[in-house]
Amino acid sequence: MSLLKAPENTPVWTDESRCKACDMCVSVCPAGVLAMRYDPHSILGTMITVIAPEDCIGCNECELVCPDFAIFVADRKEYKFAKLTDKAKERAKKIAENNYMMLEDA
Amino acid sequence: MAFNYDEYLRVDKMPTLWCWGCGDGVILKAFIRAIDKLGIDKNDICVVSGIGCSGRFSSYIDANTVHTTHGRTVAYATGIKMANPDKHVFCIAGDGDALAIGGNHTIHAARRNIDINFIMINNFIYGLTNSQTSPTTPQGMWTVTMKRGNIDPTFDAAKLAEAAGATFVARESVAEPKKLEKIFVEAIKHKGFSFVDVFSNCHINLGRKNKMASARANVDWIEDITIPKKKYDQLSEEERAGLFPTGILKQDTQTPEYTEMFEKLKEAWKNNTKVEL
Repeated sequence: MSLLKAPENTPVWTDESRCKACDMCVSVCPAGVLAMRYDPHSILGTMITVIAPEDCIGCNECELVCPDFAIFVADRKEYKFAKLTDKAKERAKKIAENNYMMLEDA
Repeated sequence: MAFNYDEYLRVDKMPTLWCWGCGDGVILKAFIRAIDKLGIDKNDICVVSGIGCSGRFSSYIDANTVHTTHGRTVAYATGIKMANPDKHVFCIAGDGDALAIGGNHTIHAARRNIDINFIMINNFIYGLTNSQTSPTTPQGMWTVTMKRGNIDPTFDAAKLAEAAGATFVARESVAEPKKLEKIFVEAIKHKGFSFVDVFSNCHINLGRKNKMASARANVDWIEDITIPKKKYDQLSEEERAGLFPTGILKQDTQTPEYTEMFEKLKEAWKNNTKVEL
């Protein structure tokens, strides 16, 4: 069973038993909230990670493009999302350039 | 609380057997959202799928489902719709299923205008059987059966459905899941045969040998070849080459629906008169 109830005070959360590490959610995230980390137990060797939940703007794009029902975004009524900042945009760009992998200094 | 997809899924079958990043999952998600938006009970839905990666669609959605023989989705769906005119019947077929082996069924269901929602998942290749040329493979692309580049002209499925008499024809792609959901909502609302040509990605069997090996690269390519219908109409004939318009391409609400006509036919037999058209 997947996580139906939102963890306390969390804008975006994942189900790692379903994720196949296709990078699609990371590629659409405008705020650099998501990135991939190395994981030897995953088939493709990487796994999704929420690196900056405080910057999530609640655009829902990651949930819509996930083909494996592995990522969830909280309801707007239940969580107050952040505004898109230049710092977040910069991080998203860097993650995309880094092949969607997590940045080392982050 | 996020959107609860699990209500409509067979959770014990998760994770899906599709490859990572497969567009089929995005389409399934948009489909579930569309059903939820319209508030249709899942017991009033019948999903019929054929053979191919798209055939797995009926395994994952928790509704009345039939996994049928290759290319015969419409034949089964027609029977189901005739027996249950008040239910929503969906056909999910791939490009090979709908245009190659089942092409004949597709055009005749469109001609009859029976109230079936036909969702064609168009990934431009025979993905399940490993990269053979399909009717929709773009010219010049590498496939197992055309290793020096495909020479077969590309089939435009939406034009086929329009010409065959489908009363609702639309095209959308997995690159825009929100629009896809809207198109599904419109297609379900429409009374009559609705044909939705959904461009999907197969970066494993099409992409790897055609310089788009990741899901992102393949979806970017789909974004490049699709254009909204409004913009497409303004282009000249030369600029249109290689582009496919998206959105609702045809909608006709005047043509009578087949199951309603069938009811009239039954009345005619009872009253011993000719059918009123």
